[in-house]
Amino acid sequence: MNATSKRIVTFLWTILWTSLALHSPSTAQTTRGADIAVVVNADTPVTDLSLSEVRKVLLGERQYWSSKLPVVLLIRAPAARERDVVLRVIYQMSEAQFKQYWVAKIFRAEAATPPRIVYSNDMQYELLTALPGSIAFVDSRNMRAGVKILRVDGHLPGEKDYPLR
Amino acid sequence: MRRRVPVLAMMFFAISPAWAQSPPPPDQTEQIRILLERVQQLEKRVTELETKPAAGAGVTVQAANVAAVAKPEMAEAPPPPAPGLGHQHEMAEPQAAPGQMEVHYPSLQIRGFGDVDFSATDQKGSTSGFNLGQLDLHLASALSRKVTYFGEITFNAQPASVYTVDVERSIIRYDYNDFFKLSFGRYHTPIGYWNTAFHHGAWLQTTISRPEMVKFGGTFIPVHFLGFLAEGNIPSGGAGLSYNVGVGNGRGSPISRPGDAGDNNNNRAWVANLYSRPARLYGLQMGVSVYRDKITLPGTPPNGNNFREWISAAHIVWTKETPEFLAEFANVNHRNILTNFVTNSQAFYAQVGYRLPWLERTLKPYYRFEHTHVPLSEQVFTNQDLVQSIVGMRYDITNYAAFKGEYRYFKRLPTDPWVNGAFFQTDFTF
Repeated sequence: MNATSKRIVTFLWTILWTSLALHSPSTAQTTRGADIAVVVNADTPVTDLSLSEVRKVLLGERQYWSSKLPVVLLIRAPAARERDVVLRVIYQMSEAQFKQYWVAKIFRAEAATPPRIVYSNDMQYELLTALPGSIAFVDSRNMRAGVKILRVDGHLPGEKDYPLR
Repeated sequence: MRRRVPVLAMMFFAISPAWAQSPPPPDQTEQIRILLERVQQLEKRVTELETKPAAGAGVTVQAANVAAVAKPEMAEAPPPPAPGLGHQHEMAEPQAAPGQMEVHYPSLQIRGFGDVDFSATDQKGSTSGFNLGQLDLHLASALSRKVTYFGEITFNAQPASVYTVDVERSIIRYDYNDFFKLSFGRYHTPIGYWNTAFHHGAWLQTTISRPEMVKFGGTFIPVHFLGFLAEGNIPSGGAGLSYNVGVGNGRGSPISRPGDAGDNNNNRAWVANLYSRPARLYGLQMGVSVYRDKITLPGTPPNGNNFREWISAAHIVWTKETPEFLAEFANVNHRNILTNFVTNSQAFYAQVGYRLPWLERTLKPYYRFEHTHVPLSEQVFTNQDLVQSIVGMRYDITNYAAFKGEYRYFKRLPTDPWVNGAFFQTDFTF
């Protein structure tokens, strides 16, 4: 193999691996976005949850903040980044698994209703401020006043080791 | 080498566009539909606003309108508990808008399950063919913020070309908080895992059929239970403990049924189920159950017709699908009250499945081994011996329908021949 051939082979390998890397789903999925804040109605009596406690709330295993205040789950519609992060980090489910999970949950008489779907940040904030006990997941770049941001595992969005990103 | 280089280059550029055109996400159509609906709603709203006077129309609650648009994830459901008023916008709106935030009780939701099956075996005397599985309707209705009704009704095809209708579950539950929920009605008995995880919806379970030890119409464990049940979480930190404790009629006549029209003796059965979902091992559940009853068989056999029953069971499951693992064991102890003669019957199964990463994760192969042993001296059951292996594949046609194919290899009594069978099912929820 002469020097020209070696250069061409090296060039092609470089293109091949670069192309593979660019098309790799893992690379695409790990593109860093803003942290996703866990936000609750301002009157909700909670300020700090561990990730496993957030998971229990989202799985419907914890349905009450207190005996007089039910949890109202708000989740963004498919295609929103907030939803992707919630499904990937907290539920650890695909979209199909998530839907099937809630069908089964209600069928087992463990919950009466599934999470409520919201289509925009505006709608999410309107509901968060209006509904006692509501909890939602918001892009930390779009935070507004009037709601309470929860610490997750002791961290706020933007801090090192914050788990929802 | 010089010939190979252009060939490699052509191959690379030929396959590169194929990578770029990765298959669309499975829910893209739905996402587009939702977005289009949203756009239509917003356009309608803009039109309404443009046609109204700009000022002097009063103050309304924006949140009310938003809440009316927000829908539950999968099905129509009651709005969340009545909130206070949200922050206000000065905006022209119909005065009826705040009323849309009101909660309406009762709010009934109905979901159905169904399946169609085909089976063929080489067992002597059996016939192959199709059969219509259960048509199952599930009802859930919030009666107030803390009171909910759940019901399950099945329609079952019978050999005489008629259908029977069964009330499988009928439960009214009061939630005090996460630690105490009290309900009354007819349940699937909380013994082990499968009986309360999948109920009558074949689509929910990976396999075509339930394990023999919990099959509907079977007697090994009492599948149904009529009485009351307390359930909830136990404050236990990362251990994630939960419980079910219930008192009810116990087995009736026949013993496969719970005595819906009244108990057949003055003894109540009780059941206790304790399970753990450890926080650090998301997907894992393990638990133990005990069930105690007095069984009164019809007739007057010479050795008496009253028996004490103790059922003890344990389960461990890993509910994620890569892999999925389910295993249960149950021992049924019967003691003749007159003679004190004791028998013990055991059953267990272990099932493993794995959701394959290809074809948009629609394929899930699985294997289950199950074993039931009932001693010849057993006084309450007829013989239910079984050794069975099942190999199958589940294919999820959509998010709400599946097709399953299974090969089964089983035998009953030690003297019986092994039987081979092929089973197919399409099941769905609607």
